[in-house]
Amino acid sequence: MHDSGEIASAGSMWLAAVLFVITYAVVMSERVNRAIVALVAAGLMIILGVLNQEAAIRGIDFNTIGLLTGMMVIVAITRQSGVFQFLAIWSAKKVNANPWGILVMISLVTAVTSAFLDNVTTVLLVVPVTLLITEELKVNPYPYLFSMIFSSNIGGTATLIGDPPNIMIGSATGLTFNDFGYHLAPVILVIMAVTLLPIYLIWGRKLKATVEDRQRVMQFNEFEAITDWRLLKQCLSVIGLVVFGFIFAKWLRLEAATIAIFGAAALLLLVNLGKSADEQSKHVLAAFNEVEWITIFFFVGLFIVVHGVDSTGLLKVLAEKMIALTGGNLSATAVIILWSSAILSAIIDNIPFVATMIPLIKAMAPSFGGPEGLMPLWWALSLGACLGGNGTLIGASANLVVAGFAERAGQPIRFMQYTLMAFPIMLLSIAISTVYLFWRYL
Amino acid sequence: MTAQNLMNPNPVTLRPTDTVATAATHILTHRLRHLPVVDDQGRYLGTFSIYSLLRLTLPKAVIMEEGLRDVSFTTETIDGLARRLRERGSEPVGQWLSQDDPVMHPDTPTMEVMLLMLRGRTTSVPVVDQHSNRLEGIIAFWDVLEKLLVETR
Amino acid sequence: MHGSGEALPSIIFGLNPMVFAAILFILTYAVIMTEKINRAIVALLAAGLMILGGVLNQEAAIRGVDFNTIGLLIGMMVIVAITRQSGIFQFLAIWSAKKVNASPWGILVMLSLVTAVTSALLDNVTTVLLIVPVALLITEELKVSAYPYLFSMIFSSNIGGTATLIGDPPNIMIGSALGLTFNDFVLNLAPIVVVAMAVTLIPIYLIWGRRLKAADEDRQRVMAFNEREAITDPLLLKKCLAVITTVILGFVFAHSLGLEAATVAMTGAAVLLLLQCWPLDAEHQSKRVLQAFNEVEWITIFFFVGLFIAVHGLDSTGLLELLAERVLHLTGGDPTATTMTILWSSAVLSAFVDNIPFVATMIPLIKSMAGTFGGPEGLMPLWWALSLGACLGGNGTLIGASANLVVAGFAERAGQPIRFTRFLLIAFPLMLLSIALATVYLYWRYL
Repeated sequence: MHDSGEIASAGSMWLAAVLFVITYAVVMSERVNRAIVALVAAGLMIILGVLNQEAAIRGIDFNTIGLLTGMMVIVAITRQSGVFQFLAIWSAKKVNANPWGILVMISLVTAVTSAFLDNVTTVLLVVPVTLLITEELKVNPYPYLFSMIFSSNIGGTATLIGDPPNIMIGSATGLTFNDFGYHLAPVILVIMAVTLLPIYLIWGRKLKATVEDRQRVMQFNEFEAITDWRLLKQCLSVIGLVVFGFIFAKWLRLEAATIAIFGAAALLLLVNLGKSADEQSKHVLAAFNEVEWITIFFFVGLFIVVHGVDSTGLLKVLAEKMIALTGGNLSATAVIILWSSAILSAIIDNIPFVATMIPLIKAMAPSFGGPEGLMPLWWALSLGACLGGNGTLIGASANLVVAGFAERAGQPIRFMQYTLMAFPIMLLSIAISTVYLFWRYL
Repeated sequence: MTAQNLMNPNPVTLRPTDTVATAATHILTHRLRHLPVVDDQGRYLGTFSIYSLLRLTLPKAVIMEEGLRDVSFTTETIDGLARRLRERGSEPVGQWLSQDDPVMHPDTPTMEVMLLMLRGRTTSVPVVDQHSNRLEGIIAFWDVLEKLLVETR
Repeated sequence: MHGSGEALPSIIFGLNPMVFAAILFILTYAVIMTEKINRAIVALLAAGLMILGGVLNQEAAIRGVDFNTIGLLIGMMVIVAITRQSGIFQFLAIWSAKKVNASPWGILVMLSLVTAVTSALLDNVTTVLLIVPVALLITEELKVSAYPYLFSMIFSSNIGGTATLIGDPPNIMIGSALGLTFNDFVLNLAPIVVVAMAVTLIPIYLIWGRRLKAADEDRQRVMAFNEREAITDPLLLKKCLAVITTVILGFVFAHSLGLEAATVAMTGAAVLLLLQCWPLDAEHQSKRVLQAFNEVEWITIFFFVGLFIAVHGLDSTGLLELLAERVLHLTGGDPTATTMTILWSSAVLSAFVDNIPFVATMIPLIKSMAGTFGGPEGLMPLWWALSLGACLGGNGTLIGASANLVVAGFAERAGQPIRFTRFLLIAFPLMLLSIALATVYLYWRYL
């Protein structure tokens, strides 16, 4: 990422560093909307002369932006079909409305859908159904919500498209969908299973519901949850094709953003075919308006800011410092990245952290024998940043969404109460990741 | 229990050819907010409501989609507005119907009926046959409340 | 734009890549013109097919997108989305109507001027979207026909938009692709735009203006409007005006500051969002930011993105260069003939089809003519001809520009629909008149 063509004086290095630190500080203070902060900071990088507009645009990873936008449009349309609600009710009935069985099934549904679609949307649609079911069963929803937070973050770690850090890492390094599945899915399965153990011991074994209440849940008609069968078929076929495209991307010589945007356009076409122009533009506009533009513009601004810092050579200096600290030992570097990113991601937003770490790790390539040698570091970064989000209630956006629902349902999740259980469980998952990385790569 | 059991099967209805003045009299004397409008075959065409009355009293530039949102700069008096309403008194109600209001079918579940009232902030919803589009009745919130109180007793 | 570094496959689905790209491109145009499918969908699919078919890879496609145009459009749309909430547009309309004592013809002239000036500095569609309802209310009060007002506002918005870099999408694209500044546009286009505006009002006066009459009593009612009440939020208004002024100064001095238009517009938008949101709590902030981003016309933005990629694909096969040679062959490489051909053909085409895809295609085509006309400098008259043709041509029919359609939509909802042919019969000759003026101007100044 470090373009040799851009002039970097010592002055601009300090300017960029100061701007960068201030940006981080303001983002962390949460006093100003993060999209605004990132865009203003990016504008200042250009106006103060660290970058020109052309270099700034080159710093934006449009593959990430395109992939995010495309998947968000696909999800925005798919969610209207009611398939998420269907899955939740269907899975609850599969286990005879048994309270612990429902917890396991809903966690699995959350994990799998989070792996392929947006975590936030997944919990946004599955949580209300869960709350309805727990209300009918007269059981405490807390363990369900707790487990869903973990499932969404753990599931999201398994694939290229599961979580923004993976999208960024994949896009910047050219790692494919299959690479992520092959290297991360095994440890994710183990972590998911191990996480359910403490949840069972703490809450699961005490969950009880009367036969009468279970009967009421069994009477739910999950097929009524599907609001539009034709739409559902269209969505499922496009999602199937898109995932197929990701798997065979390398052979088709396509990149992720092309597949996602093309899939989104194809789905919009299918949904709108035969409608009047007015209705079409209403639908298309609604789909675009569901894209989380705050996240997208946060990314745009952040990429420019990080590129500004990177272009001054500052990140290279930092990478050299870090290598010197670990003595150029790959194991030590991987473990440091894993644990530090896990703990930091539990407390701050993982997106700016990962955006900064990517060029930093890239700059370490010479010490570890070229880009190939960096692989364990990328997996450490992904596992740390994604799983770390489980550590506190503010660790990931999905956590906040679940907490919001809990509050509105009158059963708020308290920050400390959550952290006391979640942080140790998160550390457990990182310990498992450490063993996995050692066993497989180091 | 579904919408069928909750509705009033014989509501006051209008024909599209009835005048605005007639409708206004109905609304005022019965203190009704929504009057369903049906054709000769009893098919549901839309609703003429107190909101229709307000719409036809105000200038078009204000009520139209994307029209002026804020008219605090105007100085129109009630006399001016009353004149507008009088001028329109002989128009048929047919062209002032709201067609986008939610409707229910006889087999709509009770919970859905109540949710529709809550979300639409409306107190009465027409019940329309899915296939023939015939108006079967109307559910007012009072009908629902009555049933709720009877059930708890 | 012709990327020589991109290796093209020799055959795609049994077709020469140039033929494949050309067929795809023509199909895209055809589908856009039928208006059967939303244009953003068509453009994105076409872009995807260019990549799937192997004409471009994703990297080349992204390089083909003019992000300066995209950034400038998004930034200005955000600024306008916030500014419109202040009520300033309504204020201007009412204030100008009262300035002329609510005389019907005076109001028509004033509303046209307000529309022209705001269209030059902000988005045309937003301008008419906010001023037309006021015009309708005033005409309803005055009991005069709204038609001449709406007609004149359509012309004003398109003519006004031609005057500046940010007035109309074609100018944004041309300026961005060429590195022309805000000042270049004003110095070269504003004089002719002022003349065209004045001349356009003459036939409108002769046809409708001299017969517009209103009773004293009705005029009194309009005079009783209190325009200050239209300002819903004076504090917000001050913030908006401060940012808009800074942004325009930024455009004027962009060249000497070493800044480009997208940076100025996007930073301005971010600063205005900051001013608007500070010091609200997090939830209200994200609500406002989201609201502003949702007001951005994403359909237009994605239409641009897809189109840029499709045109870049076509360009990278060398087809546009070939076409440019043909055009030059036809005009014998004569600058005057080429300029006139571009001016008149773009005017007539823009009256019927969307001018955005047309201009997007013409830009690389004209660029490749540089060799014949002694380098990029020699192309200047062609660029002004393209801008004048594409922007003013939009006046020719009711579907010539988005602002026209917005006005027509209002007219329909107000129960005074503007008929396609009735509009065409007067508007097309008037549009040709403005193009004739442009011809004289270009001839006199550049040729």
